[in-house]
Amino acid sequence: MGAPFDIGYIFSFLPKLLETLGVTLLIVAGSLLTGLVAGFLVALPRMYKIPVLRTLSGIYLSFFRGTPILIQLFLFYYGLPEMLKLVGLDLTRAPVMFFVILTYGLHTGAYAAEMIRASVEAVDRGQVEAAYAAGMTPYQAFSRIVLPQALGIAVPVFSNLVIALLKDTSLAFTLGVMEMTGKAQTLGTLTQHFIETYIALALIYLAISFTLERLLLAAEHRLTRHEIRERSGGATWFNLKRRSTYRSLLHNLPDVDTGKGGRI
Amino acid sequence: MQLDPSFIWTAFVQLLGAIPTTLSITVVSVGAGFLIGTVTALLRLYRIPVLSQIASAYVTFIRGTPMLTHLLLIYFGLPVLIDALAVQLGWSFRSVSIPMIGFAYISFSITAGAYMSEVVRAGIQAVDRGQLEAAQSVGMTSFQSLRRIVFPQALAAALPNLANSVIGMLHGSTLAFAVSVVDINAQAQIVASTNWKFFEAYLAAALIFWGLTVLIERIAALIERRVGAYNRGGVA
Repeated sequence: MGAPFDIGYIFSFLPKLLETLGVTLLIVAGSLLTGLVAGFLVALPRMYKIPVLRTLSGIYLSFFRGTPILIQLFLFYYGLPEMLKLVGLDLTRAPVMFFVILTYGLHTGAYAAEMIRASVEAVDRGQVEAAYAAGMTPYQAFSRIVLPQALGIAVPVFSNLVIALLKDTSLAFTLGVMEMTGKAQTLGTLTQHFIETYIALALIYLAISFTLERLLLAAEHRLTRHEIRERSGGATWFNLKRRSTYRSLLHNLPDVDTGKGGRI
Repeated sequence: MQLDPSFIWTAFVQLLGAIPTTLSITVVSVGAGFLIGTVTALLRLYRIPVLSQIASAYVTFIRGTPMLTHLLLIYFGLPVLIDALAVQLGWSFRSVSIPMIGFAYISFSITAGAYMSEVVRAGIQAVDRGQLEAAQSVGMTSFQSLRRIVFPQALAAALPNLANSVIGMLHGSTLAFAVSVVDINAQAQIVASTNWKFFEAYLAAALIFWGLTVLIERIAALIERRVGAYNRGGVA
């Protein structure tokens, strides 16, 4: 299968793949923006418990978290033009990129909504009460007290979300978008050096995820600098932390995690 | 082209036949991944010199790259490796006898292993250290205290994450189309290719995946209530 392995090809493929890095990052940035807006809109009815809208956003969350992104891509690509034709909108000439960003955006939106809701709810209720007691308006209490703390809580989840999104974009080639994975397949077919192309591809993804993770970790440290950091316990032979009470066991889990552990 | 509701049903029925393939990929990758993950997590928790660094590198690499690249690397790389070894060592086994689904099993197990190791590690770390100390003070060996005291509690703590991993692998199994395995996703493509009703076919596929996901969530919630029984408050 293919030509014999030659490590030199990995290095010559790297710059060729990096040419399409822009497309990959465009999908990531575009869908992140769409996703945060969608997530915020979906999280609001759930946080304020608005009757009908709350059910609707529940269905949205369940659907986008309950079906694979690959199926969603095809569903939107084939289905959306037909659906919108019924209301008189013609999307048949819209670029593929539009569908790709929209689908990834709505997919990310579902996870972003859970992230926003969980982070806001993780801020202690007493903080808001104290803000009111000090005479702040609801808007002031949110923007000065809740938001800065919620941001710090949300960053680790956000980091997972961005990295998962980056990895998910490797599926955009199925709709014919020439991003990095699509480019790698073309290079592989042309030169028959499949293994080398995919190693180069994996290295680029690894470098980007690593950079993103570091950047967001730095952001997290900056945003949570008001918290007293727990020193990691000295030299123990087994790395278990001591918890205050036995019953706090199940409640000490990172319940802010939305389940988007960065798969695919 | 108009929406054809009756074809959604036709596609739905035809897709049911591909469910066993999807489920077998999910079950194999989650099962093997859990074993790999547990070993990897223990290597890192016990800080065993060289092995724990290898384990960390494995987890970092897998979690930093898309699942599709793992599949493609295994699909193109493994046969080369096996054939080279077979020639060297004089095996009669050749890579052509590996079925396509075998590549999916191997690659997805490796992927799942890295994610599972984080799940297992978080679960074990959620257990209070006093539990382990108590177990040893009543005379249990390291292995006994792990098996009887730490693991059952870690499992209870890890269940929500475990369920998420299972769902992730269920959704990830759609990538098997890349190595020509006919799972639900590939079957949807095949069903639609005769009459170009892709939307209807993928709608049916989405409904099946949605149903399976909700089912897994329900089962996980049931098990969670069961294994978390010891930790419930109240008097009854």
